[in-house]
Amino acid sequence: MMRRLLAPFVALALGLCAVPALARDLTIVAGGGALQDHMRRTLFATFPGGPVVDTAYDYNVGPIRAMVAAGNVTWDVVMVEAPDLVRGCEDGIFERIDWSVVDRGKFMPGGATTCGAGAIGWGVSVFYDEARHPNGPSNFVEFFDTARFPGRRSMRRGARMTLEIALMGDGVAPADVYKVLATPQGQQRAFAALDRLRPHVTFWTGGQQPIELVNSGEVAYAVGFVGRVANGIRAGARYNLRWSTLLYAYDSWAVVRGSPNAAQGMRLIEHITSPAPLLELTRLWPINPVTQAVAENPDVRARNPLMMSNHTAGGLEIDTEFWLEHGPDLEQRFASWLNR
Amino acid sequence: MRRTNWLAALLIAPLLLLILGSFLVPVGLTLFRAVADREVAVALPDTRAVLAGWDGQGLPPEVAFAAVARELAAVLEARRIGDVAQRMNFERTGLRTLLLRTARAGDRLRAPYAESLVALDARWGQRDAWLMLQRAGGPFTSLYLLRAMDFTRGPDGAVSQVAIEERLFQTLFLRTLWVSLLVTAICVLLAYPVAYTIARLRAPWSSVALTLVLIPFWSSVLVRTTAWFVLLQREGPVNGALVGLGLLDAPAQILGTRLAVVLALVHVLLPFAILPMHSVMTRLDATYLRAAASLGANGVQRFLRVWLPLSLPGVAAGGAMVFLLAVGMYTAPALVGGDRDQMVTWFIANFMTRDVNWGMAAALSAYLLAMSGAVIALTRILTGGTVQAGARA
Amino acid sequence: MRDHPLARRLLRGTTALVLAFLMAPMLAVVVLSFSPTELMVLPPRGVSLRWYEDFLTAGRWVLATRNSFVVAIATTLLATVLGTAAAIGLQLGRFRGKALLVTLLTLPLVTPYIVTAASMYFAYSLAGLAGSLAGLVLGHTVVAVPFVLMAVLATLQTFDANLLRAAASLGAPPWAAILRVVVPNIWPGIAAGAVFAFATSLDEFVITLFLAGPGQFTLPRQMYASVREFLTPTILAAATLLFLCSLIFLLASEALRLRSTRKTQP
Repeated sequence: MMRRLLAPFVALALGLCAVPALARDLTIVAGGGALQDHMRRTLFATFPGGPVVDTAYDYNVGPIRAMVAAGNVTWDVVMVEAPDLVRGCEDGIFERIDWSVVDRGKFMPGGATTCGAGAIGWGVSVFYDEARHPNGPSNFVEFFDTARFPGRRSMRRGARMTLEIALMGDGVAPADVYKVLATPQGQQRAFAALDRLRPHVTFWTGGQQPIELVNSGEVAYAVGFVGRVANGIRAGARYNLRWSTLLYAYDSWAVVRGSPNAAQGMRLIEHITSPAPLLELTRLWPINPVTQAVAENPDVRARNPLMMSNHTAGGLEIDTEFWLEHGPDLEQRFASWLNR
Repeated sequence: MRRTNWLAALLIAPLLLLILGSFLVPVGLTLFRAVADREVAVALPDTRAVLAGWDGQGLPPEVAFAAVARELAAVLEARRIGDVAQRMNFERTGLRTLLLRTARAGDRLRAPYAESLVALDARWGQRDAWLMLQRAGGPFTSLYLLRAMDFTRGPDGAVSQVAIEERLFQTLFLRTLWVSLLVTAICVLLAYPVAYTIARLRAPWSSVALTLVLIPFWSSVLVRTTAWFVLLQREGPVNGALVGLGLLDAPAQILGTRLAVVLALVHVLLPFAILPMHSVMTRLDATYLRAAASLGANGVQRFLRVWLPLSLPGVAAGGAMVFLLAVGMYTAPALVGGDRDQMVTWFIANFMTRDVNWGMAAALSAYLLAMSGAVIALTRILTGGTVQAGARA
Repeated sequence: MRDHPLARRLLRGTTALVLAFLMAPMLAVVVLSFSPTELMVLPPRGVSLRWYEDFLTAGRWVLATRNSFVVAIATTLLATVLGTAAAIGLQLGRFRGKALLVTLLTLPLVTPYIVTAASMYFAYSLAGLAGSLAGLVLGHTVVAVPFVLMAVLATLQTFDANLLRAAASLGAPPWAAILRVVVPNIWPGIAAGAVFAFATSLDEFVITLFLAGPGQFTLPRQMYASVREFLTPTILAAATLLFLCSLIFLLASEALRLRSTRKTQP
C-alpha cells in the first residue's frame, strides 16, 4: 500500500533530481541587465564551440560554494569580483585557468591570475544633476564639505569604497588611502569623517537607487556606478560625472571547479576576451575591457568618451588584498557604526 | 492490537523520516556548526598535533615551525587554504596575511624554521599567533557564540567585550527582541477587541467580519509587504493623502524608518493574533456569563472575572504565534526598514550568502532558536498547555 | 447577555477601523495595478491593463509563475500524502509519546523561518539538493506538511477509529480499510490540508531565497528582486494575481470547512 502510494512521489523526486544531471549546454553567469543582453549577442552567440546559455546572479558567491561542495555544478563560467576570485581560488572553488588555451599575453597587467581572466572594469564616482546644481563637488574633500555644498549625499551602504571615500574626504591623498586605512588611527579617522557627514547621508543598497535619488531630487550629490550614470547621460540626463573621484576595480571570468564543461569553458573565455567580439561589444556599450588591444584602441576610446578606461589615470584602484584581510573586521565595524 | 500499531508506525514513518532528514538533522547540524572548529584540524593536522603537546610557555618547538611551514605550503598548492585563512583571520585580523605569506614563501624557507619563519614575519616569533593556532585546534570553539554576543577571547583565553566601535550583535538582538515584543503587544491589543466583537456579532455579520480577517490571512506575506513598500513611497498614496489632508506640508520619509517596519509587521501578523483568540472566544460558554449576571455581577465584573480569564489561552496562543513569526521575519525589515532597522535575520542571510561565514550564521541562528524556545516554554508555563501552532486555521 | 451600548459602539468602531487597516493596503494594490502610467497615485487617473500585459509577456514573470506552480503542486502532493498517512497512523496507533511525536512533526511551524532556511541551505548543500527544484520541493514540504497533519488530525477526531480497527482486525487488508473507510469520510479535512499546503508553498519566500538555484525564480522571489531593483506597476499586477489566488484558497477552505461540519453534524 505504502509502496503503491509513494511510487509516484519517488518517481517525481527522482525526476526532479535528474534534471541537473542531464547533459546541459555550456552555462555562463554574469551580473545581468542590459550589459548582459549585449554580451549575449556579441560575445556568447558568436562562440564557435557550440550553444551558450547565460543567466544572471547578484554576485553572491555563497551559491557557487554550495554547488561545488555538493558536487552539483550547474554553472560553468562566472563573472566574479576580485576578492571573491582570490578567496575562491585559494579555496578551490574555481578551476585554474588553462593558459595554454587562453592567451595570457592579451591582458592588461594584473588581468591574468591563477583562476581568473580579466573581464571588465567597473567603478563608482560622484555625480549629480547639473540642472539642479550647476556647481557640485569636484573631489571628495568638497563632497564632505556640507557648508560650501549643502544638500543630501548618497553613498553605498557598506565599508568597502565608503571608508576610502571618507579618508579622501578628510584630505588623505589617494595614494596613501590603504596605508592609512590599515592603521587603527586611520580607521578612527575614516569613521570620524563619516560621523560628520552622517546627518546628510542616505545610504543605498541597489545600483539603481542613487540614480533614482538624484533624479527625484531627494539627494543632491551621490556616489554611484559610473556605468549606470554614463548610460543615463547617453539617454539624455544632465548628470555631471566627476571622474576625478573614481574608485574602480576589475571583474574576472572564472570557471567553476568540477564543471563538466571546464575545457569548453576555457575556450569560451578565450573567445569572449579576444579583441574581435569585444570590439563589437564596445559599439553597443561603453565597457571597460581588460583586453589590452581593445582597452587601448584609440578608435574605441575616442568613440566612447564616457568609457571608464579613459579616466582610470586619476582614480583609485580598490585594493583586493586589503579588503580580504580587513573586510570582515571593517564591515562589522561599519555595520556597528551604522546601527548606532 | 500489535498489528494496528505496526500499521500506524508504517503510516507515520515516511513523514517522520522526511521531517528528520530534511528538518531536524539540518537544524541540528546548524547548532553543531555554531561550535564546530575543524578548519585547522583539516588543513594543518601535524601542526595541530605538535601544538597539542605544547605547554603554551615561550615558543613552540622547532617541529611546530617546520610543520606549519610545510603544511601551509601544501594546502596552498592543494587550494584548501581559504577556510583556515578565513578562520584565523576572523579570530584576529591580520592572521590571513601571515598564513598566506608563509604559504607563498614555501620552498624558500629553510631549516631551522624557527629562524626562517621569524625572519619572514616577526609574528611567528611572538607567542600570540601560536596560542591562537593551538586554541583553534578544535574540535569545539566558543568563538562564534561569543562573537555573536559581542564578546571575544584574547590569546590568553580571557573573555572580554569587543571594542565599543565594533559592538553590533547585542544591539541587534535587543532590537529584534524589542521590535518583536512591540509588534506582539500592538497585535494583541488590537486583536482582542476585534476577536471579542466578531465572536459576539450575530450572523451574517460575524461571517462577514471574519472573512475580512481571513482575506489578509490567506494572502502572501510578500504581497502585503510589497503593498506597504508601494504605499509608503515618498510620492506614494500615504504621503499624498497626508499632504492632501493638510497633515503634512511636504512628503515625509516614511520608508526606511522604524515606523514603517512596525506598521508592516503589525499588518502582516495581526490575523495570526485575531484568529486563535476568536476561536477560543466562540467556544466560550455563554452560560458562564449568564450565571455571573444572575449572581449580580455587572458588565465590567463579568468581563474581568469570567470572560478575560477564560479567553487568556487564546491570547497566549495568538501572542506567541505573532512573536515567533516576528522574530524570524526577514522580508519586512529588509524591504521597508532603514539603516538602523536591520534585524538578526538580515545578518544571518548576509553571513550565509555574502561573507560565507557559516560559523557566524549558525551562531546567530542558535541564539534566535533559543529565543523562540524560551517564548514557547514561557507560553506553555503560562497557559499550562500546548501552544496551538495552528497558524492557518 | 449584552454589552453596555457605549462599550458596544466603541468595540464595533475599533473593529471596523482594524478591519479597514487590514484590507486597505491590498485594495490599494489592486487599484494601483490598473494604473495607466508608471505613476502610482490614488485616486487612479484611468484604467489600463498594460501592466498585466507586461506580466504575461515578460519571460521572467511567466517563468517565475511556472516555477511557483510546479513547486506548489509537487509540494502539495507530497505533503498531502505524507501528512494524511501520518495523521491516520497517529489516530490508529495506541502508544505512548503521541503528543511528543505531534510536537516534533509540527516543529517547523514554530521555528523561525530564517533558521529553517539557513539550516536547509547548509545541509542540502552537502546532500547535493541545494539549487535544485527537488530541494526546493523538499524544503517547502517541511513547512507545509504540519498544516496537512493538523487539518487531517482535526477531522479524524470526529471519525470513529473503532470502525477502522474493526475493519483492520476482520482481515481486511489495511490499505483497503484506509482507502475505502477512512479516506471517503475525512476527505474534506485532507482537501483543506492540501489547500493550506498549496498556499504555503506559493507564499514561501525565505526558504526559496536560500535553496533555489540562480535561475529558479518563483513569484515571491521575482517580486522581491523587482521591488529592490526597479519599482513598476507590473509588480502590482503580479501581487494582484497572487491576491486573487489567495481569495480562491479562502473560498475553497471555507467550502471544505462547511462540508466537514455538515458531515459531522448530521
